[in-house]
Amino acid sequence: MRRALALLIPLLLASCAAPAASGDSLRYGLTLSPSGLDPHINASSELTIPLGSVYDTLVFQDSESGEFVPGLAESWEVSADGRQYTFHLRQGVRFHDGTAFDAEAVRLNLERVRDPANLSQKAASMLGPLESVDVVDTSTVVLRLSRPFAPLLDSLSQVYLGIASPTALARWGTGEYQFHQVGTGPYRFVEYIPNDHLTLEANPDYAWGPSVYQQARPHFDRVTFRFFEDPATRALALESGEVDVIGEVPPHDAERLASSGEFLLQAVPIPGQPLQLLFNASRAPTDDPSVRQALLLSLDRPQIVATVFGSQSAVAEGLLSASTAGASRVVPADQYDPAQAAALLEAAGWRLGADGRRARQSQPLSITLVVPPWGSNPEAAQLVSAAWEELGVEVDLQVAPGFGPLKQAQSTGEYNLIGVNLFGSDPDLLRPFFASEGLYNWTGWSDPELDALLVAGAESVAPRPERMALYAQVADRVAAQALVLPIRDYTNLVVRRTGLTDLRFSPQGWNPYLIDLQPAP
Amino acid sequence: MLTAFVAVTLTFFALRLGGGDPTDSLMAQNLVTPEQLAAVRATLGLDQPLIVQYASFLAGLLRFDLGVSLFNSRPVVTVIAEQLGPTLRLASAGLLIAIVLGLALGILSAWSRNRLAADGARWVSSLATGLPVALTGILVILLFSATPLGRLPGPGLGWTRGLLLPALVLGFASAGAIARAVNTELSRSRAEPYMSAAAARGVRHGPRLLWHALRPALPLVISLCALQAAYLFAGTVVTETVFSRPGIGRLLVSSILQGDYPVAQGLVVLAALIYTLSQVMADLLALLVDPRLRGSS
Repeated sequence: MRRALALLIPLLLASCAAPAASGDSLRYGLTLSPSGLDPHINASSELTIPLGSVYDTLVFQDSESGEFVPGLAESWEVSADGRQYTFHLRQGVRFHDGTAFDAEAVRLNLERVRDPANLSQKAASMLGPLESVDVVDTSTVVLRLSRPFAPLLDSLSQVYLGIASPTALARWGTGEYQFHQVGTGPYRFVEYIPNDHLTLEANPDYAWGPSVYQQARPHFDRVTFRFFEDPATRALALESGEVDVIGEVPPHDAERLASSGEFLLQAVPIPGQPLQLLFNASRAPTDDPSVRQALLLSLDRPQIVATVFGSQSAVAEGLLSASTAGASRVVPADQYDPAQAAALLEAAGWRLGADGRRARQSQPLSITLVVPPWGSNPEAAQLVSAAWEELGVEVDLQVAPGFGPLKQAQSTGEYNLIGVNLFGSDPDLLRPFFASEGLYNWTGWSDPELDALLVAGAESVAPRPERMALYAQVADRVAAQALVLPIRDYTNLVVRRTGLTDLRFSPQGWNPYLIDLQPAP
Repeated sequence: MLTAFVAVTLTFFALRLGGGDPTDSLMAQNLVTPEQLAAVRATLGLDQPLIVQYASFLAGLLRFDLGVSLFNSRPVVTVIAEQLGPTLRLASAGLLIAIVLGLALGILSAWSRNRLAADGARWVSSLATGLPVALTGILVILLFSATPLGRLPGPGLGWTRGLLLPALVLGFASAGAIARAVNTELSRSRAEPYMSAAAARGVRHGPRLLWHALRPALPLVISLCALQAAYLFAGTVVTETVFSRPGIGRLLVSSILQGDYPVAQGLVVLAALIYTLSQVMADLLALLVDPRLRGSS
């Protein structure tokens, strides 16, 4: 009997220690090692992949309908003038460290994001014209804005504005908190060793999941993330069994893996701006709309996209990629017409010489193209240059080695086209690019009516469809001037073992709902 | 020490004059106004004249204070210290492999009586100097993921892919240069009269090689190894990326690309220090093994 008890007790203890019976763990490959992992402070899209499951947000956005649904806020009201948001918070929610979630926690989090000393790289600007955060009672908080700001709910649904435990924030301070993150989400943050790994563990108490999650509890007890920065090593990581899932797999590797039968390829559209080139409308010769139109028509974009990105990426046809709210097709993929392009240039006086180059009054037709080094920009730009050389245009292609040098090239104004794009799920991201005084107005275009449309979109209090219609007008105005050359809608090629199902992503496209992942039956 | 100072000063100005403004990348995803940007610059001290920034950097350096990372507000010393361990392990394992492999290949190519072995060794060492680490790294991963060795379980990458394979790739690249030096020195000393004298005294092939021919070659080989140690440190940048290992090589690349000056500078200070230290150690070691050097000084 005693012996039987001695056997039984450790067994009982063991079963207490591991409440989820499955005991499965999952290994997820990340593709870049973020310089910082604090969602309130750092900006990378990559950090949302693990942290999306550590934090809950006040609201969540449904990928299919685009509607916002309750999260940590059970309900909310927006005042008629669009300047006051009242959130009624869910009760009984606890952070992973046991701290109770309440209105004061929301206020402290938003104040932390807004504090200029914390140098927030993204979250602070997502709050727009936020003026104050007022706690009404423990379960009611009011956000007051100095002007209406339609993207606010979209912002509050993203991990960058996830709600962290005030206890942990106070204990660790700005630099160290990223290693000791505490949220209310389905997974608990265990450990982060920069450049090496990040570990999450299932939160056994999670009982307040939003309706966007299909499962009530995570299946996998433990998720370990590792970093694979060199694109050539990502397919190898899957094949050698080091990871179960990984994103940003190079297109040709992804297609090979998918055809092997051991892996599944999921092409996840990323909303925001496509891979694109912006025309500089304040510098010759691209100050002439017919030159811009000719350069556009001379490109076989479907061919370029297929060559560089394989068969999984869509050709971009607008200012926003097709999966973004408010997107419209304004630069059709099939408009390729080299004869028309040549005719436009001839009509503008750019005559083809004996050397195959075009010139006007002995002035050669030459343009400078500046692109960033990431996202296959240089490869796409090479094919673009080749097509233009064919047309008789002299092209000087420059690759700027990072965002700093790109900005520097932009500030000198010595470019005819420049490659830059931002990701995001709200169309207001177009404002800094196309408003006359916008920070990213790299086209140099100024149009008061366009400015008015962009402000109307940002400050709209109308229902969602009416607001999105404004962005169709924005796109039409910009396309009429041929200011943008859209190339490819960004697509994240995620490859996973066939043994995994229900890999679903948030509307921004990066952050997987880890809670829904299941082993295949 | 002067070398270190010059390197640090050059980096300070090169990063600031060539790399653009760090606030550009810091605020890359932020829709900020020019006023907010000015406030950020003031917080970071970037609105000060360059010479004032340089003076405060030097003053900090004297107190071993390398400043704070722009991107996550943590002390640079902490950020570097976290990543230093894995790189030191990788670089020292790589150096060990380079020395052993380099000596073996060098001796084999200079002294083997078997023509095939000698030529083979020469071929391998040429290959080692010629092939870039980025290529050998991928080849090794491919080779090993196809064999049971590459599928060893364990935390993280396991021991083989975690250290052995990257160290091999790194060591192999440096082994070529060492092998060549050993080969040249051995071929030279072989023609010396004292070798014929030793042979005449009846010293056998093996001892003659190890004691009479290799010993005079050691000072040169040691100073070459010190140079290779610095080179290995540079080689970790690629090796760490290919093998997805943590380390200061990757930290250096990311901090330069993002314009995180304080971290990049701190790494250059460290590299200059390592370079100087390895030279000093090589000189001391050479004194130890070569009595001729002691006599002359």
